[in-house]
Amino acid sequence: MVRRILYGLAILAVLFGLWGIYDRVAFGHQNAAYGSYVVWGLWVALYLFFTGIAAGTFVFATLDYLFRVPIFARTGRLSLFLALITLGAGLLHIWLDLGHPERVWKAYLQPNFNSVMDQIVWGYTIFGLIILMMLGMSFQPQRYAGWLKLLSAVGLFLALFLSGGVGALLGVQAARPFWHVGLFPVQFPFFSLASGAALLLLVYGLFDRAANEHRRSLLRVLAILTLVLQLIKLYFLWADFSQSIYGGVPMNVAAVTEVLFGRYWWAFWILQLFLGSIVPIIILLWPRLATEPPWAALAGFLVLLGFAAARANIVFPALSVPELPQLIGAFHSARLQFHYFPSLMEWAVSVGISGLAGLIFLIAYDRLPLTPEHVRSA
Amino acid sequence: MAESSGKVTLDRRDVLVKLASAVFAGLVAPAVVGEPAPAEAVTLPELPQLPPPQPDEDPLVRMMRDLQRALQKPVEQRRWAMVIDLRKCVGCHACTISCVVENKLPPGVVYRPVLEEEIGTYPHVTRRFIPRPCMQCERPPCVPVCPVNATWKRPDGIVVIDYDQCIGCRYCITACPYGARTFDFGDRYTEGTPRAQAFLVGEEGAAVHETIPMFEYGQPRPRHDEASPVGNTRKCHFCLHRIERGLLPECVVTCIGRATYFGDANDPESLVSELIARPNVMRLKEELGTEPKVYYLL
Repeated sequence: MVRRILYGLAILAVLFGLWGIYDRVAFGHQNAAYGSYVVWGLWVALYLFFTGIAAGTFVFATLDYLFRVPIFARTGRLSLFLALITLGAGLLHIWLDLGHPERVWKAYLQPNFNSVMDQIVWGYTIFGLIILMMLGMSFQPQRYAGWLKLLSAVGLFLALFLSGGVGALLGVQAARPFWHVGLFPVQFPFFSLASGAALLLLVYGLFDRAANEHRRSLLRVLAILTLVLQLIKLYFLWADFSQSIYGGVPMNVAAVTEVLFGRYWWAFWILQLFLGSIVPIIILLWPRLATEPPWAALAGFLVLLGFAAARANIVFPALSVPELPQLIGAFHSARLQFHYFPSLMEWAVSVGISGLAGLIFLIAYDRLPLTPEHVRSA
Repeated sequence: MAESSGKVTLDRRDVLVKLASAVFAGLVAPAVVGEPAPAEAVTLPELPQLPPPQPDEDPLVRMMRDLQRALQKPVEQRRWAMVIDLRKCVGCHACTISCVVENKLPPGVVYRPVLEEEIGTYPHVTRRFIPRPCMQCERPPCVPVCPVNATWKRPDGIVVIDYDQCIGCRYCITACPYGARTFDFGDRYTEGTPRAQAFLVGEEGAAVHETIPMFEYGQPRPRHDEASPVGNTRKCHFCLHRIERGLLPECVVTCIGRATYFGDANDPESLVSELIARPNVMRLKEELGTEPKVYYLL
């Protein structure tokens, strides 16, 4: 029943997304709500979100193939597949965000390796190839055990480098004090791990129908990991915001104030903090709930929801503070605004990409042996 | 790239760097010092004729003289700079509008907005107007972040964009501490306006003005659909296409208060060099170390 509902939702999302893609292709960026001041919008935030999950789930795959952690035995293939589709969803978002998507090849053939963005483009490409190769090999794990170990090691390094690199992508920008903090590249790998753990919690909670000790143990381990990483995330948030406010740099304070008390305060207090952090922490702190699949899935979903809001709260507020205060009103145009809320077309594209990722996952989960028998048995 | 007949054919990147290239610089210098030019010589375009120097001549004439003198030098020896006297700026926005017209800027793209600031409280109140072109930073934060080398600082210090190279990621926009880069979303002023036979308004009249070529970077570029610069980052380039023909930037010549000055900061005889040396000069966000080449007189 749950599976049918999910299929239905995914198909509806894809249909909605097709309209968005048509609009994007036919009218370019004209129906996007971002402008020249808040220049990155929903798609960039979700690019950070999805690629973060990809890095996180990959790390969990290495727990099987590289570190041989017993509880994660034979879970690597599913983790790899999740990494692949979330990476695809992230890259599709950022590709459609480009002004000239048809020129993306230039990032490969005419690169500027001094640009963190170009380093990340190359990094994610290699990372994606590694995931693909490992996924292929994972169907014959005995034969390719050595290769899987080697690629896991390289991929693990890349996953950490890339998730940290995404932090650096923003962190290197001295023009934006809200981003320009040394903690950024350090925080992001933790975010990735937490979101990877949350996705696994969601997937195992929703689809693992094998009521046995292994399921309980796996959910318990994932719950503990998610809980610890959530607490670390909250600590980073506190450190970041308290230092910013205490330091008193006007642009920085303005950005933090925008997050906490601005137009979209609810995205922080309700989505990110309450639903995305406090509620799942309460669920995960309760061992009986945390090992009950529906509750584990709910906790995973809420953590992911909170992370999506957190990514938006990283990208938008920094851009909604004018570089020069008098820029507000200096030249009037719908594209020269310092507030932003995604347009219907942007939502449609993102819902569509997410739905497509979900649909691919559902089909693959039903058709391919992604999980070991003891998980699929029911 | 140059033929012996003197006819020059340039590809798009060459167009951007043509007068700035080391080759060109090497060719102009011998002409100035009287040495025979090599076969690849590219001659300067015909420069406007100026009256003989006079003691109290208009600053515009003096700046054009400075400009022509600078153009005789190798490009890497020039340092284009702008000085804006905030005491003279009356906030008429003529520079903003003339820039829009010169570069055929679409809605939402602006190279030189005028920032307005109110200082003090009644009865001691004053307003200050701060035109904000691209700062053409000596250390431009927008350049290293570009993933495809679509933006760079020329030898004369002007930061340029290759529209055919730019992928439209907008990373450079986020990197600029002055908000001096904007994105071309493909919007049109006449979008949704009534169809009317008119010159200034309506689809059939005014829309023509939106599609005729602009000449940024010396390259005629009619505007249509998704073709660059639609989908690209855009910015002020000190009207490079005008400078190279011995003309001052459009914002300088249209300034009704003679508040904007332009010239070669490497030339000690130039007007901008004189102004930059004054004690009441400042630059925006000096603490970031970008070393802007736009100076303000307070």
